[in-house]
Amino acid sequence: MTQPVLELKGLSKSFAATQALKDMSLAVMPGEVHAIVGENGAGKSTLIKMMTGVHQPDTGTILVDGQSVTLKSTEAAQDAGIAAIYQEPMVFPDLNVAENIFISNRSKGRIMRWSEIYAESDALIAPLGVKLDVRRAASGLTLAEQQTVEIARALSLKVKVLIMDEPTASLSAHEVARLLDIARALKAQGVAVIYISHRLDEIFRIADRVTVIRDGQHISTKPIAEVTEDGLVKDMVGRALESFAVKTAANPHGETLLSVKNLTCAGVFQNISFDLHKGEVLCFAGLVGARRTDVALTLFGIAPATEGTITLAGQPVRITTPQQAMDLGIAYVSEDRRKLGLAMPLSIFANISLASLKKLLKPFGLIDRQAESAMAETYRKRLAIRSPDTRVEVGKLSGGNQQKVMLAKWLETKPRVLIFDEPTRGIDVGAKAEVHAIIRQLASEGVAILVISSDLPEVLALADRVLVMREGRQAGILPIEDATQERVIAMAAGQANAERPAA
Amino acid sequence: MTGLLSRASPQTLRLLALALALLATILFFATQIEGYLSPRMFNRISTSAAVVLPLAVGQAIVIMTRNIDLSVGSIMGVVAYMAGQSLSAMPEMHPVLAVLLCMAIGAGFGALNGIIIAFGRVPSIIVTLGTLALFRSFLVEWSDAKTITTASLPQWLVDLPSANAFSIGDLDVRVTVVLALAACLVTGLALTFYRPARRFYAVGSNPDAAVMAGINARRVVLSAFILSGAFAGLSGFLFLAKFGNITVVAGLGFELKAIAAVVVGGVSIMGGTGSMIGVLMGALLVDTIDNSLTRWAVVSEFWRDALLGGLIMAAVTLDTLASRQLTRLRKGGQP
Repeated sequence: MTQPVLELKGLSKSFAATQALKDMSLAVMPGEVHAIVGENGAGKSTLIKMMTGVHQPDTGTILVDGQSVTLKSTEAAQDAGIAAIYQEPMVFPDLNVAENIFISNRSKGRIMRWSEIYAESDALIAPLGVKLDVRRAASGLTLAEQQTVEIARALSLKVKVLIMDEPTASLSAHEVARLLDIARALKAQGVAVIYISHRLDEIFRIADRVTVIRDGQHISTKPIAEVTEDGLVKDMVGRALESFAVKTAANPHGETLLSVKNLTCAGVFQNISFDLHKGEVLCFAGLVGARRTDVALTLFGIAPATEGTITLAGQPVRITTPQQAMDLGIAYVSEDRRKLGLAMPLSIFANISLASLKKLLKPFGLIDRQAESAMAETYRKRLAIRSPDTRVEVGKLSGGNQQKVMLAKWLETKPRVLIFDEPTRGIDVGAKAEVHAIIRQLASEGVAILVISSDLPEVLALADRVLVMREGRQAGILPIEDATQERVIAMAAGQANAERPAA
Repeated sequence: MTGLLSRASPQTLRLLALALALLATILFFATQIEGYLSPRMFNRISTSAAVVLPLAVGQAIVIMTRNIDLSVGSIMGVVAYMAGQSLSAMPEMHPVLAVLLCMAIGAGFGALNGIIIAFGRVPSIIVTLGTLALFRSFLVEWSDAKTITTASLPQWLVDLPSANAFSIGDLDVRVTVVLALAACLVTGLALTFYRPARRFYAVGSNPDAAVMAGINARRVVLSAFILSGAFAGLSGFLFLAKFGNITVVAGLGFELKAIAAVVVGGVSIMGGTGSMIGVLMGALLVDTIDNSLTRWAVVSEFWRDALLGGLIMAAVTLDTLASRQLTRLRKGGQP
């Protein structure tokens, strides 16, 4: 048996009172794709931070190629041949693509030879199957493109171990396929890939071995051939889950609530038309860059439409500000929790009440603190937000719980139309099932729901109808009975044979 | 026009706009002030801008890292005084050594700022606001309210402001101007071609990513403040040479001029961008306006500071509006 390229022995780590990792051991072989799965809060991020030198273990040793090492910084980890790419890509928006790739490459000497850097960047990007001008600034790159930059950065360092932390959370189906190809190519070169993902189907497509961790502890490491999806989920949550893809209960459609005709935002998307009924879930599917989020932003008044009409409950409306949209009963649960959704340093209750402070006003414009925390408490129970009380900082919650806080904030505005943008991006299976159940529950209460999702199984589980977009245009609307993964992908990618039935 | 706007980089457009503004300012004052386009006026503005330019260069580096250095005016004053004192005591000191000494003293003060900011994690605006006052009080204490006079300075220093490096036609370019330009040029080259200097951009552009990329962000911020201090020291030397008489108010208010030059020169206050050519033009514009206003009868010279303040705000506002418009244009241009 060959020697593990990276071995962790008995790592433990505590932060204040919480023990994040307990006696964690793991061996990663060269040329294998080693998947690590676990619910949010299981200790995966702590584990990654330990391997990349961001945190140091309290006890235990890390061995690279059999040698005990101390990774006291990211720099030290990179020198040992360990690099990571993250769910939220870490790029420098003001620097150009090439410099982003070589930013941490210390083998290049102190003088920047720009033409050399451009040439080498081109050579690194080309095999990744993405067209990218290496001289352009990184600001404005899509998430998938930013990730490509990060992968190229890791490749330029000639890594032995590449950690991919939720790399596909925001990618579309064909970008996922491309990423998996890249992972396979790395593996063929003898690089060990540590692959962390909530999407079990990907793990079965790519992994050689899979390690389950729960509550900071190692539960199991098995060859992929010896595990089943149900078994993995059971190991992850410590109990058996009912099928986590909730099958749509037939929803009797109510009256048309929102009617959109030929909605256009010049240069971004054009001619989007659909009707949304009370109690219906309409999913927007498509590749990343299909401009689905832009349609949502237009409906929410952030980027007003340049043409087309929006009719809400029979009344033509023109929405030009988010305030107006909220007054009309439209809520938008953003994809980017960090940037657009939550005030991370504020408490749970302050976040929940943020969009409905008017209701809590006492005389002289003071806020009724008691009513505020009572409101937050109701949601904590109803949505099962896992936190001892509502005074906890939102930034300290796991992704799934943050998502619930954001949802609570918008539910309190009593919306008639609720737009979800990637509602389960980067959250674990257990929380995902809960979010799905909440969405279906809201629909059955008569809320009209729009869901933008790049996760096809999720689309098929949630939707009553699927609207497929491609490059800013509407490729078609499929009733759920006609929607299959293959057909949606074909429409989203613009294959000719899929267009006919879509019209 | 639209095609041009979406092709040229925002930086290039900004420099273009700045050059136009500079040209317009000069043309405007030429119509207002008699004998404006003269070698004398060129001298007056160029030597005055030379004092501000190193300050602005250092300030630009700090602002690139998403920080600010409000203490540069005080550092400059302290250095000018201490250098004057040292040169009175040791008139045989070599000029090059004198310049290096000034930069070293400045760097020391900058290091103090940098250590508190980078390792004490106190916001730079607070730290340097404090040291702005502290360094000034230190100067009052140190000098015992005595004044350095030209009479006590070595002859080479007294002669330096009128020493000519070279002439273009009848325009004389002074040695002090060349010194300031050299500081700007060297910094500009380093920021483009010297890898460790590129980290100033990286840290300002995305501090979290910088840490993840293995960059020691604290050390980078510390270096920025040390450099800012060192350049303030150079300005202190130029200030001493230009005026000869140094009192406890030397350099008072110069931080405003330096920040104005940097911001007008297109260095984003949000960090991550900026070029030395922009800073040079910013310093020129600020000093042209400043020096011209003293000669312009229409406006009282008490309005000069107000105008500087207004200029800073206008530059940032215009920049925000323009880049927003540009982003929209770009988005529209894509399929």
